[in-house]
Amino acid sequence: MRRVSKVTAAAVGVTLALTATAACGSKPKDDDKKSNSGTSATPGGSQAAKIDFKACMVTDTGGIDDRSFNASSWAGLQQAKSELGVDVKYITSKTENDYVPNLNSLVNDKCGLIIAVGGLMADATKAAASTHKDQKFAIVDSSSIEPNVQGLQFNTAEAGFLGGYLAAGYSKSGKVATFGALPIPPVTVFMDGYVQGVRYYNQTKGKNVQVIGWDDVKGDGSLAGKFDSPADGERITNDFIAQGADVIMPVAGQTGLGAASAAQKSGGKASIIWVDQDGYESASQYKSVFLSTVTKDIKGQVFNAVKAAANNQFTTKATIGTLANNGVGLAPFHDFDSKVPADLKAELNTVKADIVSGKIKITSKNQPKS
Amino acid sequence: MADTVIAPDVEAPVNPTGEAADVVRAAARKKALITGIGFILVGLYALWAFGFGTKSGVDAVFGMTVPNRDTTEVGDLSLPARAVAIAMSVLCMVAGVLRIVLDRSRLAIRLSIALFLIAFVIAFLVWAVAGKQMSFAGALQNTLLAAVPLVLGALAGVIGERSGVVNIAIDGQFLFGAFAAALTGSITGSLWAGLAAGMVAGALIGGLLAVFAVRYLVEQVVLGVVINLLVTGITGFLYTQLLQKDPEGYNNPGVFENIRIPGLADIPVIGPVLFDVNIIVYLMYALIVIVHLGLFHTRWGLRARAVGEHPTAADTVGIKVNATRYRNVIMAGAIAGIGGAFLTIGTVGTFSKDMTSGAGYIALAAVIFGRWRPLGAVAAALLFGFTSALATSLQPLNTSIPSQFLQMMPYVVTIFAVAGLVGKVRAPAAANKPYTKG
Repeated sequence: MRRVSKVTAAAVGVTLALTATAACGSKPKDDDKKSNSGTSATPGGSQAAKIDFKACMVTDTGGIDDRSFNASSWAGLQQAKSELGVDVKYITSKTENDYVPNLNSLVNDKCGLIIAVGGLMADATKAAASTHKDQKFAIVDSSSIEPNVQGLQFNTAEAGFLGGYLAAGYSKSGKVATFGALPIPPVTVFMDGYVQGVRYYNQTKGKNVQVIGWDDVKGDGSLAGKFDSPADGERITNDFIAQGADVIMPVAGQTGLGAASAAQKSGGKASIIWVDQDGYESASQYKSVFLSTVTKDIKGQVFNAVKAAANNQFTTKATIGTLANNGVGLAPFHDFDSKVPADLKAELNTVKADIVSGKIKITSKNQPKS
Repeated sequence: MADTVIAPDVEAPVNPTGEAADVVRAAARKKALITGIGFILVGLYALWAFGFGTKSGVDAVFGMTVPNRDTTEVGDLSLPARAVAIAMSVLCMVAGVLRIVLDRSRLAIRLSIALFLIAFVIAFLVWAVAGKQMSFAGALQNTLLAAVPLVLGALAGVIGERSGVVNIAIDGQFLFGAFAAALTGSITGSLWAGLAAGMVAGALIGGLLAVFAVRYLVEQVVLGVVINLLVTGITGFLYTQLLQKDPEGYNNPGVFENIRIPGLADIPVIGPVLFDVNIIVYLMYALIVIVHLGLFHTRWGLRARAVGEHPTAADTVGIKVNATRYRNVIMAGAIAGIGGAFLTIGTVGTFSKDMTSGAGYIALAAVIFGRWRPLGAVAAALLFGFTSALATSLQPLNTSIPSQFLQMMPYVVTIFAVAGLVGKVRAPAAANKPYTKG
């Protein structure tokens, strides 16, 4: 997926802010190890005392600069380097055939923790983990594999739910839309949450906001088929706008940039809810159309995993980023801050609290299972 | 290497006589019978699936107002779904009968096939949209959006192949043109400079292709693929090093504004779609006419075609074969570069890695489906654009067709339409054959 942030620091800033709020928020029970070290960050970028630990990662085929999960994972390792003083290293997978050799070469490189980025690497990681039982692994967007792989997962349906609620509340036309790139769980989980968020808004408010582009029961809808074609994203979004939708959430990487472009051309009629990393920073050319972003804090999760492993607290219990631990969430409204009614903001906070407390149940078969 | 021969014209003579003619006629008769029966069977299926598969009393609503344009409101077209689907299915069968009865004239054959396709598409559409709404005008707009780069790429392909150089590198020319247009447009702040840079970039790749194909006699298909990979690598590298680091400085060229032609743009539905567009689209209209007239009605075109059909003969009458090829391939590259520029400064406004997403190969297909003729290639590109626009519009309607099938639709329809409408095709005889004297 594409990221266009001009400064990694900007993304770092946002993520740090999220991590900071995480420290104040309620901790998930499987995550309490890190709470005792929440204040150990060194000030002002000075190098922490060096500890003898090496954290390595294997990128997915998107490469280290994909402005998406590879880049976020690497940012997490960078943070670990500056705050914990660990050694970090990455190795790029050009094709899917590189997964196994790359993982093996890192094992031979004496890495303390090897992070595999992306659920597509699950099989390769499983193979490497079963041959090297003493090696610790972590895998982004996939479940844990016993006995030595920790899954770093995200329940983005929760944040997507907030996104849907926001879209429904903000929409003036009474029609909102979403589309994805491919029908795979890391994509469709956003859309499931979004649709259910709109439905919840309709139920509680007695409104009838329609969602175009996804049917969470059938599990089908508008799919671009590719992550790399902004032209396709633009056409899909044009069609949505022609049908009257005025808030659109693309879950399609670079293809989604076409949606932002179409919204820009609509002359303020349509706005976009971005996904993964705050679009206001990462796709700043289109910042004027981003209502908000449904975020996924991969960086923080990776950092926590490295920290735990470096402190000999490695576990194969999967971490799941949720609204409760700020692993997923809704980014600031930025330019839209004054346009989002205060009532809606307050309601979003209530909805968030209700999801955290379990009062609102989200049912997506694409959610990670704890 | 001058082993080119003139292939005999494979098309059957119009008015054959004698015994051979009987054979030809019998074969044509058989073909007409088979296709005709095929049409009738498909028509029956449409009647069952679309006609009787639609609830009665439900309307299919097609929005006819072009979105995002300064235009008068056009009322929605509301069709009684069941009745229309049944009528269109019957028309499909009528087309089949006509195909069997009127097997002699080529015009009648084409008309019957066109009637069949149009009736089938309408039957399918009203069935899919029944009880819902679809923006038909929006789909037309999307058709043009999808077709513009394809048309420009296909024109480039036609010129190249007519001159005897196979251009697989259209995708690379798109990508490099898109990249150069976005970067130059951002740095200079001028979209015109971006457009010029896109043309230059396309021409550069064309030049590269020409040098290796004409001067060094490299197998042209392999060469084109390698060039595409090279461009993917170069633009990918520069993108991460430059554009991604400072997107607002290097990847923010903006988009050409639309120019509205008064009068023409006031035609309902079609007007705003075709005549309220940006300069690149108008440039495309002009290029279609220029390339068509140039290729078939000027000395330049005659020479280009001579070089592509029979370079030895062209050489003996004093045409500089290789110089002609160089010139034409580079010029074609510039046209493909405009298509690339459209992808960035004509629509989306930013460059992203591998953003052509294979469009160049579809353009190449349009060259062949269009029988190496500019107008044929345009028709193929429009057909592809229209079916992809329909697929895009039908996906959110929650029909019983899985979205994967809708994504396949443009490719399937293009293949069928080509098989039905185009028939036998013959490439320029000397395409992919380097020319050396002696």
